[in-house]
Amino acid sequence: MLRIERVSRRYGDLLALDDVSLEARPGEIVGLLGANGAGKSTVLRTAAGLQPPDAGRVLVGETDLWKDPVAAKRDLGYAAEEPEFYEELSVDEYLAFVSAVRGVDPGAARARAADLGVRLGLGERSREPVRRLSHGMRKKTSLLAAVLHRPAVLLCDEALEGLDAGAALAAKQELRALADQGAAVLFSSHVTETIERLCDRVVILHRGRVARTLERREWGAPEPGLSPLEREFLALASAAPAEGAA
Amino acid sequence: MNASTLVERERRESDAFRLLERTLVRRRVAGVDARLRVELAALAALILGFLFWQVRIPLDSLERRTGVATVAEVEFAGLAALAIGGGGIAFARHTVRLRRGPGGPAWLALPVTPRALGRHLAWGSRATAWLALVPAAAWVLAGVQLVPAWWLVLLFAIFVWMLLEAARLGCWLAVRDAVRRAEPRSGLDDLSRVLVAARRVGTSAPLPAAHWRRQPAWRALLVKDLVVTRRPSPARQRAIAPIALLVSSAVAWALPIAPALAHALAFALGLLTAATLAEWIIAVAGTDPFPVLRGLPLGVASVWGARLLWAVLGSASLLVVQALCARALHPMALQVLLVWLGAASLAIGALGANYAVTLYPRVEHAQRMLALSLGLAIAASLMIPLVGWVLVFTALLHSARRLPGWSRQEAF
Repeated sequence: MLRIERVSRRYGDLLALDDVSLEARPGEIVGLLGANGAGKSTVLRTAAGLQPPDAGRVLVGETDLWKDPVAAKRDLGYAAEEPEFYEELSVDEYLAFVSAVRGVDPGAARARAADLGVRLGLGERSREPVRRLSHGMRKKTSLLAAVLHRPAVLLCDEALEGLDAGAALAAKQELRALADQGAAVLFSSHVTETIERLCDRVVILHRGRVARTLERREWGAPEPGLSPLEREFLALASAAPAEGAA
Repeated sequence: MNASTLVERERRESDAFRLLERTLVRRRVAGVDARLRVELAALAALILGFLFWQVRIPLDSLERRTGVATVAEVEFAGLAALAIGGGGIAFARHTVRLRRGPGGPAWLALPVTPRALGRHLAWGSRATAWLALVPAAAWVLAGVQLVPAWWLVLLFAIFVWMLLEAARLGCWLAVRDAVRRAEPRSGLDDLSRVLVAARRVGTSAPLPAAHWRRQPAWRALLVKDLVVTRRPSPARQRAIAPIALLVSSAVAWALPIAPALAHALAFALGLLTAATLAEWIIAVAGTDPFPVLRGLPLGVASVWGARLLWAVLGSASLLVVQALCARALHPMALQVLLVWLGAASLAIGALGANYAVTLYPRVEHAQRMLALSLGLAIAASLMIPLVGWVLVFTALLHSARRLPGWSRQEAF
């Protein structure tokens, strides 16, 4: 469970978040929707422990993130919009480092990294230095590192943008699987279609405030199965290799 | 394109870059927090004060012996040397930037003339030459009441002009050097050739398989630091100096010089080893991407512990090397050397670890603070023996007090 309570955050004169409260319950994927500059990334960065709020608090389970950050971050995973890495390490070395710091069983982490890597289309690039990866490959690596330890709370900042359709589908399936296993997922995007199809609830941010919260029933059921474009892309992808060199 | 269009274009570019440069200066000044500004100002004032007294006394005696004109000549020579030093700093900075690729946007994709771009890039490198202002101010102030005030004002104005020209020359030489090294490419101007070469990094060979193992967080950081240092990175460049100095401190004992001199040389090189090791600790800590490190369940104890351990390992290596190479020394003298060197190198390394953690992710600030602290300690020790150590330990304690705030530090 993730609870953001009355969080405010200012950047100089700009009030980026103004008394924002929201929660993501176990088993739920909550979408954060908003225009550019609405405060989505600020919410996620604050909830990930990258910047302290000026007021309010963030609870991961029952743990206050800013009072006991180490305990809270054990249950957190964060996929950034513009991920940063140790550019000198390979994808595998980076994931091995992250899983060691998180205290994940090495055998299980390695198997999961290999499995997810193949599904996301990272498999053949896993021994290349991160600095040689394309933007899409970097996003996949970031997502993989965020879900490797099956976090109780997953924060995704525009995590699907930049992924090819095959990887985006695999990523959505992984997010749903994590939620089905009891994780709370907070997922930001400015693509409404992704949010519609993936999320159970949507929080709309406007100028740093929660403008509206919508339950899935309020925007109607998504069409079952793949969208026509996804079907087309997958048919093409099965005949050609996945995303190429950087 | 006719001449008037060219002139108009150059004017527009020049205006745009001037605006950018003004904004960058404002942004960089605003990026230094108030406390650090006070600390930097205090350190600059102390260095200025130290240099003032070091120069004032010889100048005063010179004035009594030979008169005002000689003092003015010495003032001018000193300022000229400082201006040349500033030019050297600009040259070194510009060389490094051109080799690594200057920061900022994808310059080659912008429709700007190479001339305007070259001028802007040199502006960024020239800024470092202004470091020479602090010793120059001390040098000029040391002449107050020894030579007429208006001479000093004139000398300082000449110094500023010389510094600007020396920095320009330094950057020009750096560009010529980079052009000489860059591959020839037809159809590309000199600067574009340099920038194209600077952006080509890395090899195509796959890296060795990762080691997936269970280990405490501090050890994972330690191993990662080692891997990053073995690959092309800023940390690798910083690792060369401490290794070379460590070897030199061992070689000092084998030189055909008096034992007392070898002793002093080995000790001094040992201290330099520690100082450069501290710089490496800061550099390797600076390779940690902020969102990665801060997103992981890492406490300050693990992060600081990993960096402190490097200081401990560096100190231990230094002591082992000295103990093996200085066997000719009397056991008591050897013991004293090892105790002093051990304590000093550990203190310096720990200071590096403290700055690396407390000023993270501002690596440049941390490097600057380390250099200023150690420079001040040397200056203090030259004035009053051993006082420098008091300063080092004070800096160590002061920086340690900031460690608990680590988890609330922000990237910007």
